[in-house]
Amino acid sequence: MALRLTLGQYYPGGSLVHRLDPRTKLACSLACTLAVFFIGTPPQLAFGLAGALAATALAQLPARKVIASIRPLVAVLLVLSLFNLLFVRGGETLLSWRFLTVTTAGVHAALIFSMRLVVAVMAMAILLLTTTPMQLTDAFDAFLEPLARLGLPGHELAMVFSLMLRFIPTLADETQAILDAQSMRGAALGEGSPARRLRSVVPVLVALLASSIHHAEGLSRALDARCYAGGAGRSHWHPLRMTGRDWLALAVVASWIFALILLGHAL
Amino acid sequence: MPMGTPLVAELSHVSLVYEGDVRALDDVSLTVAEGERLCILGANGSGKSTLASVLCGLLAPDEGDVTLLGERVLAGGKVDFAAYGRARRRLGLVFQNPDDQIVTSVVEEDVAFGPENLGVTPQEIGQRVEQELRRTAMGEFAKADPTRLSGGQKQRVAIAGALAMHPRVLVLDEPGALLDVRGRRSVMRVMARLKESGTTVVHITHFMEEALAADRVIVMRAGRVALSGTPAEVFSHSGELRSLGLHEPFAARLAGRLQELGLGVPWTTDEEELAQAISHLAEGVGPKRGAGGREEAPPRAAAADERPLAVELREVCYSYQEDRRSAQARRALEDVSLCIAAGDSLAIVGQTGSGKSTLLRLVCGLELPDSGSVRVLGVNTARRRERRLLRGRVGYVMQHPERQLFAETVALDVAFGPTNLGLPADEVERRCQRALELVGLLGKEGCSPFELSGGQQRMCAIAGILAMQPELLVLDEPMAGLDPLGRERVAELLGRIKGRGCTIVQVTHSMDGAALADRVFVLDRTRVLAEGRPEDIFCAENEDALHDAGLGLPTPLAWALALRDRGVNLQALPLTAEGLARAIARACQAGEVR
Repeated sequence: MALRLTLGQYYPGGSLVHRLDPRTKLACSLACTLAVFFIGTPPQLAFGLAGALAATALAQLPARKVIASIRPLVAVLLVLSLFNLLFVRGGETLLSWRFLTVTTAGVHAALIFSMRLVVAVMAMAILLLTTTPMQLTDAFDAFLEPLARLGLPGHELAMVFSLMLRFIPTLADETQAILDAQSMRGAALGEGSPARRLRSVVPVLVALLASSIHHAEGLSRALDARCYAGGAGRSHWHPLRMTGRDWLALAVVASWIFALILLGHAL
Repeated sequence: MPMGTPLVAELSHVSLVYEGDVRALDDVSLTVAEGERLCILGANGSGKSTLASVLCGLLAPDEGDVTLLGERVLAGGKVDFAAYGRARRRLGLVFQNPDDQIVTSVVEEDVAFGPENLGVTPQEIGQRVEQELRRTAMGEFAKADPTRLSGGQKQRVAIAGALAMHPRVLVLDEPGALLDVRGRRSVMRVMARLKESGTTVVHITHFMEEALAADRVIVMRAGRVALSGTPAEVFSHSGELRSLGLHEPFAARLAGRLQELGLGVPWTTDEEELAQAISHLAEGVGPKRGAGGREEAPPRAAAADERPLAVELREVCYSYQEDRRSAQARRALEDVSLCIAAGDSLAIVGQTGSGKSTLLRLVCGLELPDSGSVRVLGVNTARRRERRLLRGRVGYVMQHPERQLFAETVALDVAFGPTNLGLPADEVERRCQRALELVGLLGKEGCSPFELSGGQQRMCAIAGILAMQPELLVLDEPMAGLDPLGRERVAELLGRIKGRGCTIVQVTHSMDGAALADRVFVLDRTRVLAEGRPEDIFCAENEDALHDAGLGLPTPLAWALALRDRGVNLQALPLTAEGLARAIARACQAGEVR
């Protein structure tokens, strides 16, 4: 159960954000994720977080859903903060003990660099929580269309992405089952010397590979049975259509990013 | 079949050979008429699934002629791909594992996937999605995440997805194999509705009772059609069926046994007809004497108090902390207490989501309770150091253990456990031999486990656990997905292991199977509903409570109660088929004496 990822966690709803064209949402959240790296000062960070919170409110997502999506990253962020805290030197020295030195620049980096990632993760979480995998696939499909024109499998890549979202929880459960089964059979998982640990992983990987192939066979039978034959000749239940809402959303996000960057230069 | 009914499928002298020269279909000729409900039976590996794939146009045979929906897709072994493409658009398939058939993470989008592939207009797709979700009684789950549904619900989504393509033929390949009692019932109801709407249904199953609803039954053996006819005709070949690894439905078995006991009942597969004949025979029997008396309840487990406890759960609560949807804890077990004496067998029953699998994981020490205590073989699982002492003493056979086979040969796979225990090579060898002998796989040591048949793979996986010589064997639905012969073999095996003094705990969907255990434990929505000897759990008074919990009574008991309602003076309420036959014989013969 601990292996469950937060991908593909669509949260049904009818908010403004839910109703946006998935291409708009994908473009906006990608742009926001990149824009986050312009954040370098506390006012920018506050502005960034405010934007993320406003988007969450607009999407009418319960806070705990969004927090649950961020939680897996907390450990990574803590480690990142700690490194920044200890190794970034500059400004006044706040604390010095043997080889450990904490400076104001370190504190600054520790806070800003980890918190700005929270904004990026929230942007992605809002996208995944308000967009069904099928809509996401359609959006990817649209963005990859130039590839398809060059004769590359753009549509197929998008479909693979969608199936990946669908099968991550299934395979995570299966991995847990294999780990349990083998530890009940005395496998020394996570015990002993590194070499021994490494060896004990092989049976898990082989079993996981076998079960993935099993799923893949079932899936290909299912796709065949439902007459899936790539993008050609396919219709869409909800064809993508850009409306005034979408253009407005794009304009709002663009000006938000512009303001965010400007804020960094003004101060 | 009536003349003039159009045929939807026509197979003539069809053969299909897989890699490694496996003849999956061998000179099969078969026609399916429009609107017919055809049922295909056969042991694991008899070619049923291959036939299903051929009938829905997913596999082209190597030899013969095939016509599907009027398209001549295969002529003399030559494939016409264009014709296949046209025919496939009106042929639907649903198979065993719903997890592999659902391609998106929202129910309604999954149902729309097929029509989208066919290029149906958006408006029409919307109508079809709504209509099929309603027909499969899944309307209220339109926006749900399929991975959060029960097996029966998922399978209904898969059926709705196939129906939304408006197939003229729907092939269902063991749709109920992985489902619980309630899930199987719901799938059968949907199938009955399809028949009414004129869709041709081809149903492949391991459950003989399900075949009774078909217009025609076909039995496969080694890629050939061994028997064919109406259900009554096919099931009258009882000896032949048994040699094919199948058996007759319960009513037919009972009728046969009653005839052997000298009763003048007709042989029939029709439950109503048999019940009438029995009540007719028993008419005129005197007033009921001591009704409700139990037959042959042996005074067992009298010495239970002196035996040590193999498993002891005290007021155990458990919740899943990391629930994907709610972020807050989801209760899996509440206030569960349970004792199992060493050497006993315990059957745990309960519908999907009642907490059965969690209970097994606690017993295995794979999870720790939030509160309460779990002692297994004298070891408190909460203490990490003590838990290590359990390694090898508790064997855990998970659901579908064959999915976890990994080694190059059967011998290496079975040896994995004993080797991990650090036993000397000759001891490992000895244990493997013994385990393989127990499960009947001696001589297969050098094979790859992936080459074995479905039933053999299950046995190989179980052998891997038995080779550790556990004192406590925990099994999660060990019979799921097996054919009748395979189920019988697992049951026999468990009997033999128990005979050697091993304590057995198993989760099962089969009430008939649970009735054979020493004790039965009924879970319902995270709580204990009842616990006790099978004859105390399975009785008329508990019928409603069991039904509310998505369970039922063992077939023999349900029969006995129904017969008693008809006025048959049964002196006992037996839990086994043999007990029922004898009780009926006694009631009827008493009638003749008077």
